[in-house]
Amino acid sequence: MLSFNIAMRFLRKSPMQSILIAAGIAIGIGVQVFLGSLITSLQTSLVDQTIGHSPQVIVQSATDGQAVRVTPALKQAFAVQSQVTTAVPTRVFSAIYRKGKVSAPLQFTGGDLAQLNTIYDISGRMSAGTARLGSGDVLVGKDFAAKNGLKPGGTLPLVLPSGKAASLTIAGVFDFGSAAANSATAFVDGGYAAGVLGYGADQYSAVDAQVSNVFASKSVAAQLAADPAVKGLRVTEWQAQNSDLLSALKSQSSSSYMIQFFVLVAVALGIASTLAISAVQKTRQIGILKAMGMKDRQTGRIFLWQAVILGVSGAAVGVVAGLLLIAAFTFAGRNSASLFPIHPQVGFIVISFAVGVLVAMLSSLIPSRRTTKLDPIEVIQGG
Amino acid sequence: MAEVLLAAEQLGKTYGTTVKTVALSDVSFELQAAEFAAVIGQSGSGKSTLLNLIGLLDTPTSGRVVINGHDTAAATRKQRAALRNDLIGFVFQFHYLLPEFSVLDNVLMPGRIAGAGVAKLKPRAEEVLALLGLEGLESKGANDLSGGQKQRVAIARALMNRPALVLADEPTGNLDTENTKAVYELFRRINQELGTAFVIVTHDRAVAQQTDRILEVQDGRLLQDVRNAYLDPAPGDGHGRSEPGGDGGELSVTRAAGEPGGVRAAAEAASPE
Repeated sequence: MLSFNIAMRFLRKSPMQSILIAAGIAIGIGVQVFLGSLITSLQTSLVDQTIGHSPQVIVQSATDGQAVRVTPALKQAFAVQSQVTTAVPTRVFSAIYRKGKVSAPLQFTGGDLAQLNTIYDISGRMSAGTARLGSGDVLVGKDFAAKNGLKPGGTLPLVLPSGKAASLTIAGVFDFGSAAANSATAFVDGGYAAGVLGYGADQYSAVDAQVSNVFASKSVAAQLAADPAVKGLRVTEWQAQNSDLLSALKSQSSSSYMIQFFVLVAVALGIASTLAISAVQKTRQIGILKAMGMKDRQTGRIFLWQAVILGVSGAAVGVVAGLLLIAAFTFAGRNSASLFPIHPQVGFIVISFAVGVLVAMLSSLIPSRRTTKLDPIEVIQGG
Repeated sequence: MAEVLLAAEQLGKTYGTTVKTVALSDVSFELQAAEFAAVIGQSGSGKSTLLNLIGLLDTPTSGRVVINGHDTAAATRKQRAALRNDLIGFVFQFHYLLPEFSVLDNVLMPGRIAGAGVAKLKPRAEEVLALLGLEGLESKGANDLSGGQKQRVAIARALMNRPALVLADEPTGNLDTENTKAVYELFRRINQELGTAFVIVTHDRAVAQQTDRILEVQDGRLLQDVRNAYLDPAPGDGHGRSEPGGDGGELSVTRAAGEPGGVRAAAEAASPE
């Protein structure tokens, strides 16, 4: 391809100029890859911390305090949702811890430990004792245990909603990393909870579910609500309950897009101006080529090719630079617990690369047009 | 009778829209295949404009150019580019080689523009380089040559696509006497051996005398069209070819019609020379 060949020669004739443009693209795409990955990972980390270990979609009775009958049809309604990763029937009740003059409310979630783990990862987040939910066992939060001087093996005296007194054995203490969860929640065996609530074997307070893409919770909730088995029940999802977090995430995303956009605009202007200068520098050559019979479009393509060559090489270097930056960032924060991990995403990097090449190509439109319009007579004026 | 290669029909070129300056007016002539002609005239006379028009580098504001049977009056830029590539070789005062390319690549260029591959074109390129005595310089950069060598490479490039017509605008303007002589001898040889027609623009009457036909342009008009003629030498100019029975007069002269007066100043102002 002659246009490509000429483009290569033009670029090689002024290596410094070529390297500078490619470096400009590389910096732009490097920033893009780094910043984009950083923000995405930050948000993932934030979302994960906030709702990663809690129900994202909940199906419960439309009337507060009423039991939901977990029928095979209801289980099937969850099973057909490909986004749903886990659906756990739970029984929830409140009771008051009372010891001497001290009294504190506790929210109990009753269920099967293995199933509860799929949402709360209780077993993985124990700070003392063992994760065990046998009959009469209870798991309490770290802050609650510390405040009341409770230890695994000790007892937990309670006043149940019915007014009756009860006592449970503290099997272990969990640490969910949140003061609210650590000081006011507790887990018990599902059977015990059924007894407290007076529920039958298939009666539960709610079905708690998690979804693979947390932002898909809205559509999953809508689809569930439309299922005949869920008819008459109330379906809630986390996004409706966390509008503050969502708007924070959204404004963070838009500020990140703004930065990325303006970096790309700066890169585009840089490439456009340098290519425009190059087009002026090569006016003579273009005129000669046209005099020899090169077609307008063919000469225009020379600058398009230059842009593609610069775009591809610059964006490739930029992607590598961005990944190196991420590696450096991760390395610098390897000992800091507060730093979140950055996970570069292949899809995003491919898009950044493509955007880099596209921006370069768009930037070549002006010099290409100029070249296309050039009349050989403007150059050939000898004699 | 030789076939007509190129016909200029009442060619005119006016520059400007509000203030009009006439660079060329009502020029008509026919060029036969394998003819060896010169266009002479003073600086600003319009000779380069004429060359650019018949070379399809520029479009006339009136009249038309017919080349090899193609009426170019309504031709698109693309069609004119294709005709230039196929039929015409250009040699300019400034060699206009592409500094980014080697000697061989420069010579290959018209062939590559025509769409052929390097492998297919290389024998032809080597042939023209040999014809111009440039063997061994193929891989040199265009800027690593002497002035005379550069112009010979430019000529080799002009010949690459076996053009029917070579247009040369002051081709020796930047060369010394020895190189000038060599270039014209080469042109003549190519003309005779390959049957390529030549139109050479020059201000040097001595050079023009070496050709078979002289078109003299003055004030944008064709003043005279002389075949095998001895031209009135300008004072101090060299001597021309003597003709039997002639006493310095003109043979088979076609006087171009029109009054040159008044146009001259405008033409000089407008000419890019």
